[in-house]
Amino acid sequence: MRILIVEDDADLGRQLQEKLKSAGSVVDLAVDGEEGRYYGSEYDYDAAVIDLGLPKLGGIELIRRLRADDRRFPILILTARDHWQDKVEGLEAGADDYLTKPFQMEELLARLNALVRRAAGYASPILSSGPIALDTAKKELRLNDQTVDLTAYEYRVLEYLMLNPGRVVSKTELTDHLYEQDFERDSNVIEVFVGRLRKKLDPFNPIRTVRGQGYRFAGELAEEGGG
Amino acid sequence: MKPGIQSRLLVTTTLVLGISLTLAALILDRSFRVSTLSGAEEQLRLLIYSVMGAMEISGNRIQVPEPLPEPRLGQPQSGLYAWITDEDRRVLWRSPSTLAGGAPRPPIGGDPEPGEFVLREALGSEDGLLRLSYTVIWEDPFEILLTFHVAADWTPFQAQVVSFRRNLYVGVAGVTALFVLAQILAVRWGLRPLRTMAQEVREMEEGRRRRLSDAYPSELIGLAENLDRFVAHEERSRSRYRNAMEDLAHSLKTPLAVMRNALERVPEEPRALLAEQLDRMQSTVTHQLSRASVTGPVIVGRTVDVGSVVERLLRALSIAYRDRNIRVDVALPERCCVRGDERDLMEILGNLLENAFKYTSSRVRVSGAIDGGLTIRVEDDGPGIPPEARAAVLNRGTRADEVQPGQGIGLSVVAELVALYNGRLEIDDSLWGGARLELTLPLTATAAMG
Repeated sequence: MRILIVEDDADLGRQLQEKLKSAGSVVDLAVDGEEGRYYGSEYDYDAAVIDLGLPKLGGIELIRRLRADDRRFPILILTARDHWQDKVEGLEAGADDYLTKPFQMEELLARLNALVRRAAGYASPILSSGPIALDTAKKELRLNDQTVDLTAYEYRVLEYLMLNPGRVVSKTELTDHLYEQDFERDSNVIEVFVGRLRKKLDPFNPIRTVRGQGYRFAGELAEEGGG
Repeated sequence: MKPGIQSRLLVTTTLVLGISLTLAALILDRSFRVSTLSGAEEQLRLLIYSVMGAMEISGNRIQVPEPLPEPRLGQPQSGLYAWITDEDRRVLWRSPSTLAGGAPRPPIGGDPEPGEFVLREALGSEDGLLRLSYTVIWEDPFEILLTFHVAADWTPFQAQVVSFRRNLYVGVAGVTALFVLAQILAVRWGLRPLRTMAQEVREMEEGRRRRLSDAYPSELIGLAENLDRFVAHEERSRSRYRNAMEDLAHSLKTPLAVMRNALERVPEEPRALLAEQLDRMQSTVTHQLSRASVTGPVIVGRTVDVGSVVERLLRALSIAYRDRNIRVDVALPERCCVRGDERDLMEILGNLLENAFKYTSSRVRVSGAIDGGLTIRVEDDGPGIPPEARAAVLNRGTRADEVQPGQGIGLSVVAELVALYNGRLEIDDSLWGGARLELTLPLTATAAMG
């Protein structure tokens, strides 16, 4: 997943970035509203964490502009002020959830996770499609209730595809969402990951190749209760 | 209640006007009577002189030959009479008008000294006559003391006085009424700016106006401007205070978040201790800042439509809690307005509603009623709050070490904020066995300072 963080406090920003990176996401950190807007309109994100008290362009205005630019990724607002006015205005501007500072990192990860799968149409943290169940909390794949070992990158590819079910995802898009910007883009690596995933998912083959365009997750979407 | 300015002015001027006009009327009445009387006396005096001039003495007889100096003296019951008497009060001559039955007699009582006129006013006496007597010492053909008496019917004069008096009082009453009316109009006109000001202040309270208009007379412009300045000042200091609080919140909470996150890197041994201390600091900061951020009822303020605040909050919460599929029912009265600050009410209601969303398992109900005050009930079907814990939940001490970490701002702070608005917060069981929080606010909350 590729996540945008807009936070003006350098320390907190760095901490968020490290935490999300270690959780397997690609993270861009913007330190003010203008930069946040630039990133938000330039790149495609799976989610954004936006602090409301930002210099140059306030958090609420930033959200409003991103939404006006038809940016639909889920947004989690961070607020230190803990005022309902801010939360309400943020949610009205187009945010999807709020978190009050100071917060537990785990709480933030859980909220972000929930936002991302909610945006993809899943109601529980376990993305399931037929016999395939991807536990986004434990980062674990179960195939017919049998745990299947995945490497971190294999997991990310599968998660991204499952979060975009039925849609054709190009190799470039996958690269964008799985690697840092400065990563040397080599689409062969993606092909290798997909190949390995297919082997591990055998006999099911939910990942279809759309010739010349990319991949499409074609498994049937099913919800698994609990949560 | 003290009498209004309008009635003060009216009562004073009506009293002063009434007294002075009555006095004037009395003086006029008196002088009219005096002048009427002296006119009548003058006529009688002339009559005496003409009788005296026409009188003839032949032997022992006194005659006033025809034609009489005043024809009415010859007609019986004419209302004009004359007598001549000697010093023993014997009638030597009487005018023919005195001859008919029931005619008046010459006046009784001491005759005047020679050369002296005596007027007897007979107002109210049975014959209603005005009498004048005059005594002379007659020397030709022999010395004799004669007294001339004339009497005139006083009734026409009296009628004149009465009619004058009536006209006078009617006139005075009319003038008084006219003055009072003019006074009322003047007072109303003069006080209109004050009424306008009261109306505009009311509109400001209801939030339909931000400042007073400029159309005030010079005497009130100062007051109007001061009031405007006062309101603006209150607003400014509110927002300055709020900004200070926000800056404080921001500058404390972000470092707290950073420290908390950095804890992961700290070795096991001090980590628990540090985490506990951080929790405490966090609770204190959150708690105190939440309390401080509510400024209380506004002095010259706006009314807040609680219904629309609830609606906004519910819409926002429904976004944040979209996953939970919580069913929300709202039944609020048409117009439930409270005088206060919108942000304050948003804090109070936001925390109550969030609490319900957090703990409910499937449904939340918000209902309200207006009955002296505004009552808002928030119910959920969560685990509820056991009766023995209710008082503690609402009255938790505000000392840092008594505040449990991780509770957000908690209901105790909400209860404090509600108290600032002279309201009440009560906990009960909901219809579904969950919690029911009942908030009661006075409709026009006046400040409960301190």
